[in-house]
Amino acid sequence: MKKNDVILIVVLLAAALAVFGGISLFSAKSGKDPEAVVYLDGEKQGSYPLNQDASVKIQSASGGYNILEIRAGTADITEASCPDKICVNHRPVKNPGESLVCLPNKLVVEIENGGEAEVDGSVR
Amino acid sequence: MKRKHHAVILLLAVILLMGAVALQQNNTQPTRYEVRFFDSFDTITTITGYAKSQEEFEEQTKLLQEKLMHYHQLFDIYHTYEGMNNLKSINDAAGKSPLSVDQDIIELLKLGIEMHRKTNGAVNIAYGSVLSLWHEYREQGTADPEHAKVPPKALIQEKAAHTDISKVVIRDGTVFLEDGEMSLDVGSIGKGYAVQKISEYARELGMDHLLISVGGNVSAVGAKADNTPWRVGIENPDLESAEPYIGSVELADQTIVTSGDYQRFYVADGKRYCHIIDPETGMPPEYVPSVSVLTENSGMADAWSTALFNMEIETGLELVETLPETEALWVMKDGGVRSSSGFEFHEKK
Repeated sequence: MKKNDVILIVVLLAAALAVFGGISLFSAKSGKDPEAVVYLDGEKQGSYPLNQDASVKIQSASGGYNILEIRAGTADITEASCPDKICVNHRPVKNPGESLVCLPNKLVVEIENGGEAEVDGSVR
Repeated sequence: MKRKHHAVILLLAVILLMGAVALQQNNTQPTRYEVRFFDSFDTITTITGYAKSQEEFEEQTKLLQEKLMHYHQLFDIYHTYEGMNNLKSINDAAGKSPLSVDQDIIELLKLGIEMHRKTNGAVNIAYGSVLSLWHEYREQGTADPEHAKVPPKALIQEKAAHTDISKVVIRDGTVFLEDGEMSLDVGSIGKGYAVQKISEYARELGMDHLLISVGGNVSAVGAKADNTPWRVGIENPDLESAEPYIGSVELADQTIVTSGDYQRFYVADGKRYCHIIDPETGMPPEYVPSVSVLTENSGMADAWSTALFNMEIETGLELVETLPETEALWVMKDGGVRSSSGFEFHEKK
């Protein structure tokens, strides 16, 4: 083999590695910071990074509301107009895929990004 | 000699290209999407699956949503709908006349009667009179917690006298409740039956990789797109705990349903009363915080989870061990877990 051939082979291998690395990096980009994403009746309303404390009043179409608090990397519904308070009684959520649901107000707060979800769904 | 070298380089280039193409294909596999809607069974439905875009996935799942809505209307005991005899129509005609109904209602009621027999009466679709009494007290107690009350024992007993499932008469496509004071309530099986039906419908439509959850009745149509099973968490009934799941199960063409007392309840005189009522006592059972049942048919899973919730663990365990392809898991009051012998459960460490 000539020197040039060796160089070419090395270059090709390097290129292959670069392509592979690039793709892996691209698919790992879901490793963004986790955020609480607010949906009302299935429509995305906004998102709040978990690393930034916040208190948001979410007004539902039916005239109800929920108060979403982002504290210390968790999302929690601390107050709601609904009678059953299932969403308020629920523990704060923080892991990707976890969600808070308020049926009367058709509200879902889901944790997105921040890595692979532990489960694809859940039974409660 | 030189040509040989070129051939080697060419070969390497081809390998590189093939590798890149393979990676690319890996990358353009259909993406995972989710739709959520609130219009059926007074709960949230989430469907997870694969498509080229969110729009395409919504398009595909629209038919499932409509079908689910259809079942919701058929099994509704609070409202009637134009051009349809549903469960409310049957209840309204109790003691008066047989009603001709949709084949799905007949099938559902037959499942209810079968499950009543199999569970030794621990689920009863003819228990509507007692359930509606509790419903009324729960609604009032939830709206006005200061004055929340439990139905008086005597009233429960009076209502329980009208819950004889043998008085549900199914004949030639008609249903008749022989006791004018009785009523149907399929809360223990209706949702599960509907989930089973829309799972089958999804398969007919050629959708092979879906996870359908209707208010926590979870059904897996096939496995995930990469043929690994869906992983479903079982929620931790202890809401004070920071741990969201007590563990998880893997599902492919199976269903899991949980019955629990920790979400839907009301408080009267400082005591919690959950939404499930044991037909034997007329009261909410207090055996365990939650029971999950894993099996192939969602309607049966739904019935069994309610039935087991209404039983001592040992009694339930004995029953489950006699059932083919049916497994159950109990979360106990102390947070511990019991399960039937074949329940493959990944416990949270």
